[in-house]
Amino acid sequence: MKRLLLAGFTVLLVVLAFYPMGGTGYGVRTMLQLFMWIALAQSWNLISGLTGYVSFGHVAFFGMGAYTTAILVTKLGWPWLAACLAGGVTAMALALVIGWPCLRLKGPYFAIAMLGLNEVLRVIVSYYEGLTGGGSGLSMPTLHASVPIYYAMGLVALLVTALAYVIVTSRFGLRLMTIREDEVAAESMGIDTFRYKLYAFLLSALAPGIVGGLAARDQGYIEPMSVFPLITTITMIVMVLFGGKGTIWGPVLGAVLLFTFQEIVWARFIYLHQLIFGGIIIAVVLLMPRGILGVLQQKYNLPRTI
Amino acid sequence: MVGQVVISGLLAGALYAMVALGLGLIFGVMRVLNVAHGPLLMLGAYTTFWLFHWFGLNPYLSLLVSMPALFVVGVVLQRLLVRRVVDAPELSSLLLLFGVGIALVNVTQLAFTSDLRSVEYLTGSFVWGPFAFSKSRVIACAFAIVITAGAFWFLQKTRLGKALRAVSQSREVAQVCGVNVQRIHMLAFGFASALAAAGGSLVAVMVAIQPEMGQVYTFKSFLVIVLGGAGNYPGALVGGLLLGLVEQLSSLFLTTQVNEAVAYVLLVLVLLVRPTGLFKGRAS
Amino acid sequence: MAPILEVVGVVKRFGGVTAVNNVTLALDAGRIYGLIGPNGSGKTTLFNCITGVDRADEGQIRFKGQRIEGLKPHQIFHRGIGRTFQIIRVFPELTALENLLVVTTNDYPAALARAKELLAFVKLEGLAGEFAGNLSYGQQKLVEFVRVLMTDPELILLDESAAGVNRTLLNELLDAVRVLRDRGKTVLLVEHDMKVVMGLCETVFVLDHGEKLAEGPPGVIQTDERVIEAYFGR
Repeated sequence: MKRLLLAGFTVLLVVLAFYPMGGTGYGVRTMLQLFMWIALAQSWNLISGLTGYVSFGHVAFFGMGAYTTAILVTKLGWPWLAACLAGGVTAMALALVIGWPCLRLKGPYFAIAMLGLNEVLRVIVSYYEGLTGGGSGLSMPTLHASVPIYYAMGLVALLVTALAYVIVTSRFGLRLMTIREDEVAAESMGIDTFRYKLYAFLLSALAPGIVGGLAARDQGYIEPMSVFPLITTITMIVMVLFGGKGTIWGPVLGAVLLFTFQEIVWARFIYLHQLIFGGIIIAVVLLMPRGILGVLQQKYNLPRTI
Repeated sequence: MVGQVVISGLLAGALYAMVALGLGLIFGVMRVLNVAHGPLLMLGAYTTFWLFHWFGLNPYLSLLVSMPALFVVGVVLQRLLVRRVVDAPELSSLLLLFGVGIALVNVTQLAFTSDLRSVEYLTGSFVWGPFAFSKSRVIACAFAIVITAGAFWFLQKTRLGKALRAVSQSREVAQVCGVNVQRIHMLAFGFASALAAAGGSLVAVMVAIQPEMGQVYTFKSFLVIVLGGAGNYPGALVGGLLLGLVEQLSSLFLTTQVNEAVAYVLLVLVLLVRPTGLFKGRAS
Repeated sequence: MAPILEVVGVVKRFGGVTAVNNVTLALDAGRIYGLIGPNGSGKTTLFNCITGVDRADEGQIRFKGQRIEGLKPHQIFHRGIGRTFQIIRVFPELTALENLLVVTTNDYPAALARAKELLAFVKLEGLAGEFAGNLSYGQQKLVEFVRVLMTDPELILLDESAAGVNRTLLNELLDAVRVLRDRGKTVLLVEHDMKVVMGLCETVFVLDHGEKLAEGPPGVIQTDERVIEAYFGR
C-alpha cells in the first residue's frame, strides 16, 4: 500500500513539474497560488496544529516577507530570489520579536495578542511611507515569467511538507505535541515548553515569509490591505482544520479542497463568496473540527504520519 | 489643553467600557472570546440608522429598539451555535464567531451596500468654561453611564445577575447550587449583544456607518478586558476609561494611525506583566 | 547527612485562600515519606510549590542544599525531582512508549532502551505502541509512574498513585516504590488509603487547612488525637 502511494506521489510530482510546459498562463498562476496556500497551511500547522497555540496573526509573516522582498527589489535592486529568501529571514526575525513575549501567554491571551499583531503591522507599514510606499503600496518591475515562481512556490510547498514530516516523526515533534496535550505535565517532565514553542513558531514563520515574497513578486504590486488581511490567516486555519490539524497531509488536503472550492464559487457567486466562506467556517468548526484526516485517523487507527 | 484631552478621554472611555463589559460578560461566563462583538455593534448602528432614515426616530430612542433586538440575536446565536463550542478549545469558538462575524458583515453588505451612512442628528458642542465637547459625545457618554450603571445594578442586585456572577466564578459550583447554567449562558450572550448594540446606536450619531465599522471596537474591547482583568466586571469600567484616556493623550503626541499601535503595545505590555489584568482578575 | 529536601516556612495563597500556611518539613535521602490530610488541606499545592508549578509566596525550598523555589518546573525536573499528578496527566495522543521518550534528552538508543525497560518493569511492554488515551485507568497510572523514572530522579513525589488502582497493580506499584527506596531514592507520597501509608511509609506528615499538624512514624500518627479530629471532626 505504501509503495503504491509513494509511486502515485512521484507520478504526481512529475506531472506537476512538467505542467507549465503545457498549461495555460492562467493555469500556471492558479497552481502557483495553490502551492502558496499549501505552504501557508502547512506552516500554520507547525505551530498551531502541533503545539495547540493558535496563531491568529500568521498572515503577518506573509506580509513581512512581501514587504521585505518588495523593498529589497525596488530600493536596492536585489534579484528576486534572494529577496524572497531574505523575506523568510525577516519573517523569522519578526516571529522571534513577537514570540519572545507572547508565547509565554496562555491560550486565549496569546490569541488576542496575535489578533492585534496584524493591525499594528498594517499601521506601521502605512506610517513609514518613505520606505514602504504607505497606503499606496509598492510596485515592482513586472516579471513576465510566472513559471519560475511556479517552481519556487512548488518547491517551498514540498519542503515545508517534508519539514512537517521530519518534525512529526522526531522527538522534537513529540515534545511539541505534549505542549498541546498538557503543557503543565510537559513542563513537569522537564520539557522547556517556552523554548520548544519558540522554535516551532520560528519555523512556522519561514515559509510564509518566503511565499509572501514570491506572491508579491508575482503580483508585481503590494499594498497594506492586500498583504495583511485577517481573512488570509482565517483561510489558512480553515484549510488545516478541514484537512486535519496536526497531521502531515491534512493541510495539503484541506488547501487543495478549499482552494478548488473557492475558485469555483468565486467564479460563479462573486458576491456571495465571503458569505459562503463564513458559512464554511461555521460548518467546519461545528461539524468536523478534527478534519477529514483527523476523523479517519481516529476511526481506523492510522499512524501519525498521515 | 490637557484638561480637554483628559475629559475627552473619559467621555470616549465610558463608551468603550460599556461595550467592553459585554465582551467581558461573555468571556467571564463562558470563557469564549467573542470576535463577532464588533459586527453586533455594527448591527446596532444600522438599526438606529434605518429607524432614523425611514421613520425619523430619534436615535437615542432607537436604543429601545436596538438593544432588545440584538439581545434576541445574541440569545439565538448562543443557543444555536456558540453553545456547541463553549467547552471546546478556544480555536473552535474563535473560528466559529469569526465565521459568524463574516456572515453578519457580508449579509449587511449585501443588504445595504458598503456605502457610508450617517445619522445627521446632533451637531455642535457644549461649551463649558475653556472646554468644548461635541454634543453627541457628551450625550453618548451620559447614556453609556446610565446603561452601564443599569447593567451593574442587574449584576449586583438581582438574583439572575448574582447567578451570572456565580457562573463566572465557577460553573460547577453554580450548577450544584441549582443555577441553570445554559440559561445564564444565553442571557450573558444576549446581554452582551445588547450592550454592543447600545454602543452601535450611540456611535451611529458620531461616525460613518459601514459594514466593517465594528472591527476596531472588537479589538479595543479585548484591550479593555485585558486591562481590567478577565471576569472582573468593575475592572472593565476602569479599563475602558483608561483606554479612552491613553488614546486621547497619545493623540497629542502621535498621529492617529500610530495610535492603534500604541494600543497594541499597551496590550502586549499588560499581557506580559500582569496577564490577569491591572486588578484582581482571574487568569483563564 | 543533610536532608535532601527542606521546605521552610512555605506559604501559598490564592486570592483570599491560604492553601499552604507556613509549612516546614525535611526529608532525608533514601526513605519513604507520606503526606496525608483531609481533602483541601494543601497537599497538592505543596507538591506544586516544590515542583515549580506554583510559586510559593513566602518561604524557601532547598533541594540538595540549593534553593529551588522560583525555578521553572522543567528546571526543577532536571535537578532530580520527578512527580506524578493527582488527576492522570499522561499525554493521551502519544503512545505509552512515546510518553516516556519525550522525557529524556540523552541519545535516542539509550532512551529507547530505558523506556522499554521501564515498561517491562510494570509489565506493560505489550502496550508500548498503544495510544495512552486508550489505556485503562490503572495502566495510565502505571505509565505516569514509570514516566517519572525515565531520568532516574533522586526525589520522587507521588500524588495519589494508588487511587483507583486494583489490588494487583497496587501491590506491584508498592513493590516498585520499595525497590526505589532500596536503590537510594527518596519518595514522598500523598495518599488517602491509610493501609498503603501505614504499610509503606517510614515517616508521615499530616496537613490540615494548609498547616502541618503532625509528623512522625505511622503508628504514632494513627493514634494522634489532632489527626483523628482533623479527619473525622470532633
